[in-house]
Amino acid sequence: MKISKRLLLLGLIAAALVMASLGAHPALAAGAAAGFDPKAVSDMTGFDPTKYENPSGEVVKIGVLAPFSGDAASVGQLYWATSAWVAADINKRGGIMVDGKKKKIALIKGDTMGKPATTKQAVEKLCLQDKVDVLWGTSGSHLTAIIQAEAAKYNKLHLNSHSLSDNLMEGKSFTPYTFQYIWPTYSVGNTLAKYYASRKERKFYILDQDYVFGHELAESFKAGLKQYVPDAQIVGEDYHPLFNKDFAPYLTKVKASGAEVIFTGDWMPDSSNLIKQSRQMGINTPIAGIFLDDINALIAVGPEGSKGMVFASQMLINYQDGIQAKWHEAWKTWPAPYNTALYEWLGSTTGSYVESLYWLLDVMQRAGATAPDKVIKAWEGDEWLGLIGEKLTMRACDHRVVRDTYVTEFVSPNKWYQDCAYLDQLVTIPAEFVTLAPPKDSERCK
Amino acid sequence: MSPELQMYLAQGIHGLAYGMLLFLVASGLTLIFGMMGILNIAHASFFMLSAYLCVTVLNATGSYWLSLFLAPLGVALLGVLVERFMLRRAQASGLGHIAELLLTLGIALVMAEAIKLTWGTEGLQVMAPRSLAGLVNIGGLEYPIYRLFIIGLSLVVLAVLSLVLYRTRLGTIVRAAVSDPDMVSVLGVNTRRVFMLVFGLGTWMAGVAGVAAAPILTVFPGLADQMGMDAFVVVVVGGFGSLFGALVAALFLGELNAYGIQFIPKLSPVLMFAFMALVLAFKPTGLFGDRE
Repeated sequence: MKISKRLLLLGLIAAALVMASLGAHPALAAGAAAGFDPKAVSDMTGFDPTKYENPSGEVVKIGVLAPFSGDAASVGQLYWATSAWVAADINKRGGIMVDGKKKKIALIKGDTMGKPATTKQAVEKLCLQDKVDVLWGTSGSHLTAIIQAEAAKYNKLHLNSHSLSDNLMEGKSFTPYTFQYIWPTYSVGNTLAKYYASRKERKFYILDQDYVFGHELAESFKAGLKQYVPDAQIVGEDYHPLFNKDFAPYLTKVKASGAEVIFTGDWMPDSSNLIKQSRQMGINTPIAGIFLDDINALIAVGPEGSKGMVFASQMLINYQDGIQAKWHEAWKTWPAPYNTALYEWLGSTTGSYVESLYWLLDVMQRAGATAPDKVIKAWEGDEWLGLIGEKLTMRACDHRVVRDTYVTEFVSPNKWYQDCAYLDQLVTIPAEFVTLAPPKDSERCK
Repeated sequence: MSPELQMYLAQGIHGLAYGMLLFLVASGLTLIFGMMGILNIAHASFFMLSAYLCVTVLNATGSYWLSLFLAPLGVALLGVLVERFMLRRAQASGLGHIAELLLTLGIALVMAEAIKLTWGTEGLQVMAPRSLAGLVNIGGLEYPIYRLFIIGLSLVVLAVLSLVLYRTRLGTIVRAAVSDPDMVSVLGVNTRRVFMLVFGLGTWMAGVAGVAAAPILTVFPGLADQMGMDAFVVVVVGGFGSLFGALVAALFLGELNAYGIQFIPKLSPVLMFAFMALVLAFKPTGLFGDRE
């Protein structure tokens, strides 16, 4: 068959167009085998986390382990909104192809109440009575350690998207059933240290909560500074009790120290109180941390008070189309307690939770099974492109994710919120600077 | 003033401000115990409820001053109802203080859940009114006006309370009813109503503290636990039932906290409890109390 030059040229142009359009999607552009596909997200109009209902029939059961009651119940709400979103989306698509059939996703709550004993009871119920396929949770490394042990005992997959401790996947704590999606403390400290290598600030005051995470984070930040910012000075270091009331005495020391940055790992309500009280005292020293995106606190101090804060995260969505637009549109109709600014956009925390679940379900589908051994095999070493097109690699030997991380400085005005400063330009910290090395004592990692 | 001196002065005022806030919370607790012999476990919950009511009034009217008036009033009304329809029955049950303790514990739990149902579990924020925002210069030290306002507000509450209790006929009746309710009753005074008033007054003070604390702290469902323990320590150290003891203990513990953070930060979280243990070891009734 003779092909004319014109036809050949047309064919080449058409092929180039197809390639270019495919290239616009990060997953395919990078040539990766798998990734989050924003176009595949269902029409989520009408989705309401308060009205989420599990499908009937054969399902993939996810046990959501969170504090659904008690003082930290707001954390449980975050878990529920995000897991219900992913489940509703996947179910609208017809489910995932596993065990030879399409199965939809069912969510079953396990209320940890933030306590070790209730966490253990909740896990046992989910494993023995509800017979879940996956355990998802939870906040607090001491609680996650319990879930890990129980998951291994009952041969259940466990996805940790919430606890950052460096030790969870090391030594005797490691079990092949658990995958740590969330970045470890080491990465947090090194991300911010590396960020300041290209900035002018050199005087840091560490103000952290007085428990394991606070101290671990401070150590990783100090080690990172030593490596990337050797001329940096730690001009002060204090550890305050959890749920501290009065930050004024600490802030007076910060002011006297001449610090240019307050480094903190504080989470709510300590982070909010720190922000609020510092601004009330006229101390506008930039605060750097990973839990500073509490919108209510940012709005309380306004654009001036929240401007210049440095926020680090493993994943930050800086676009308003795609899944972000669908989430935002759905949110507009949500009733209490999900009708607040905290849920208006997929933020650092909610975005990460959603991403981790999409990845899990994608891995299951590719494994074609819910059986832990098959999913483990499929996930180990898996490369996947996330919500912002970033490459995530599940390191096979210790089940921790190798990934770039992100830092942003809150600015005002911004495209997100009128009443406070919020994220703008993202600074990417390459994975090579922030990845925790595989544990040396692990036979699997040798 | 040298920067170093400014720092120490600032810590002193921080201690004073926090101490006075502690006094506001603790004074109602010690008043109720002193006058009625009731250890109100739900006291900090009234404090928390007032902070939430402050958020609601502020959102509805935009006026912090109106919330400072209405929120404590609402809490006091609830306190009156609790005394009238619950505590009185618990006291009549014949189970003694155990019934009161269990009842107020139950009220605290119910209030915590009711608050979550009404306001949700997210942290809510209140900012100081414009007239109290900003800083004032004290000998070269820039100090937040709102913290000075807390000191002033606490002093006003203390003055009003002292006047009412020690300089009015009503106060005389209250104190007499505490000493000998039967005798006062014989004299034609409705002692039940007096106790109801005292309980309402105590919860009103918790309410004032809740509104005063709201612009400094995040209003969230754990607020009662956050402040409750410190208030309890103040009452124990000052002596159960002693208003003056509560004032002295609150001021001392406030300063201990501020200067502890300045000089021995690693030990500062336990200083308050260590001091309480010390006081209890040598004077189990507290510094100014006469009841064990």
